[in-house]
Amino acid sequence: MYTLGIDIGSASSKAVILKDGTDVVASAVVQVGTGTSGPGRVLEEVFSNVDLTQEDMDYTVATGYGRFSVENADKQLSEITCHAKGIFHLVPSARTIIDIGGQDAKAIQLDNKGNILKFVMNDKCAAGTGRFLDVMSRVLEVPLDQMGKVHFQAKEWAQVSSTCTVFAESEVISQLSKGLPRESIVAGVHQSVASKACSLAYRIGVKNDVVMCGGVAQNAGVVDAIEKELQQSITVAPHPQITGALGAALMAYEELKKQNK
Amino acid sequence: MRTAKEIINEFKAIADNPRKAMDDYKKETGKGAVGIMPVYCPEEIVHAAGYLPIGMWGAQKKQISKARTYLPPFACSIMQSVMELQLEGVYDDLEAVIFSVPCDTLKCMSQKWNRPVPAIVFTHPQNRKIAKDAANVFAREEFNIVKEKLEDILDVHISNKAIKNSIAVYNENRAACREFSDVAAEYAAVVTPSDRHAVIKARWFMEKSRHTALVKELIAALKAEPAPEFKGKKIIVTGIQVEPYDVLDIFQENGFAIVADDLAQETRNFRQDVPDDDDALMALARAWNEFDGCSLATDANKPKGQMIIDAVKKYGADAVVVCMMKFCDPEEFDYPILLQEFEAAGVKNLYIEVDQESTAFEQVKTRIQTFAEIL
Repeated sequence: MYTLGIDIGSASSKAVILKDGTDVVASAVVQVGTGTSGPGRVLEEVFSNVDLTQEDMDYTVATGYGRFSVENADKQLSEITCHAKGIFHLVPSARTIIDIGGQDAKAIQLDNKGNILKFVMNDKCAAGTGRFLDVMSRVLEVPLDQMGKVHFQAKEWAQVSSTCTVFAESEVISQLSKGLPRESIVAGVHQSVASKACSLAYRIGVKNDVVMCGGVAQNAGVVDAIEKELQQSITVAPHPQITGALGAALMAYEELKKQNK
Repeated sequence: MRTAKEIINEFKAIADNPRKAMDDYKKETGKGAVGIMPVYCPEEIVHAAGYLPIGMWGAQKKQISKARTYLPPFACSIMQSVMELQLEGVYDDLEAVIFSVPCDTLKCMSQKWNRPVPAIVFTHPQNRKIAKDAANVFAREEFNIVKEKLEDILDVHISNKAIKNSIAVYNENRAACREFSDVAAEYAAVVTPSDRHAVIKARWFMEKSRHTALVKELIAALKAEPAPEFKGKKIIVTGIQVEPYDVLDIFQENGFAIVADDLAQETRNFRQDVPDDDDALMALARAWNEFDGCSLATDANKPKGQMIIDAVKKYGADAVVVCMMKFCDPEEFDYPILLQEFEAAGVKNLYIEVDQESTAFEQVKTRIQTFAEIL
């Protein structure tokens, strides 16, 4: 029995094929999201890895901002529900989830059965999200996938505002023109993201274990800044970018079981 | 007999076009309209003068540009929108505008009013719960100033008897609105969140006895058919207002019905009647000082949370949705108290932000859908 989870975010598209609700048989990530070629390409890619087609999928759940634009989806679920499901499957000790995606950040509190007790999202603002890091990466001329490495070269962390991406951008430009070391500014940018994400976690109450997911969790600098802000270690979910798609595939399996009863 | 949907459509047409409501009233009576700024104005005084009190609640999805010259970006979206409309001259055909000033933004807005239409500003007493007698005298005097200024501007005499009559008209309307809210909860499978909102919102633009008659017609039309079973979840919304309509439609799409509200634009205006008193202005003063459950109405005992929790029990609601008006600091200051009380009482709750200017609703959709999935 195969189920498909597809997570169409604002900045990337992800898909996971699950066999019998347990085995990940294929997964794919395309770094463009809703409204682009991403959704089509991620499906092509995930099926190209295995000898399966959409017709072989017994149930498909779509999630993410682009969830309502996915054809062939049997159901649409919110990304908060799917991330919680995916994370709890991978890390059953998770009680607090920090999910930072392309254009939003969320904190989710779980009980010991994986049920969502509370959740909060960022407001309509790119500060503290992947988009913020994209902008800063361009201004700093540090490729996004190098930001984590550069972060650990910093001797001191610069101060970067966490209230607004546009203000923070001009702040970073001004710091660069003052000659502040690039690595200090990178660390400051990460601290800014961490402060925004942790403010969400504080609102729901931080309970251990804290697990981070979403594309930004791949940036070790942000993870370090969050650990320093929370003054504790956190777990980065395995394959943090696909936990939403995994959760969607798991939810698809549960839906199927419900229907087959 | 008209169907419930036909009557609801009439409410929607009125709620969507206050200008027409004002023009129609003028044609019928030869008298104009007096603008009522949010919140908690003793409208009965305007009604007693024979003029139409008309609510000034901004506009949905209005692009704000000119208002930025006069307001900081952190003024609430209702005021941004009212300022924009003011600068466009939308209110210039009103006879007067009445401002209450229970928050800093309203206080500043009342001082920035700069149109040919005169503004009447009054203050609600802050000591209303700790020195009730003094607060009653103070509020009565403030309302008397409103009355006298209206008499000057409109060139009418507003008698004690006329205000008493208007209080009776308003109390009848309040009772009809309370009944409608309960019937809408019973007929949740028929009356959508948007329908419910339109019926209640229209009262801001209609002479109240007309609104009462239409509400009674709607209640009768609804009750003419048995209530179909509602299979979704029941919620109570709290805040200043829930608009644009898109937000209400997202509730509906996710299987939610609003079975009661605690909104400054809606139920808070008709939750209680104005008491009986030979002195009509004193009756209005007493009503204000007895009023409870709004962040804009000073009360150090903060009874709002418990009032909402009681409503949850009364209406068998599954949850409360806090609809936070963006940049409404009185409501935002009260939120942590509400949250603690909801959690202590085991009341499931969701927080969403309300912004009249919004044109994109993806974040609200995600929050509401998630909430539906976890309830």
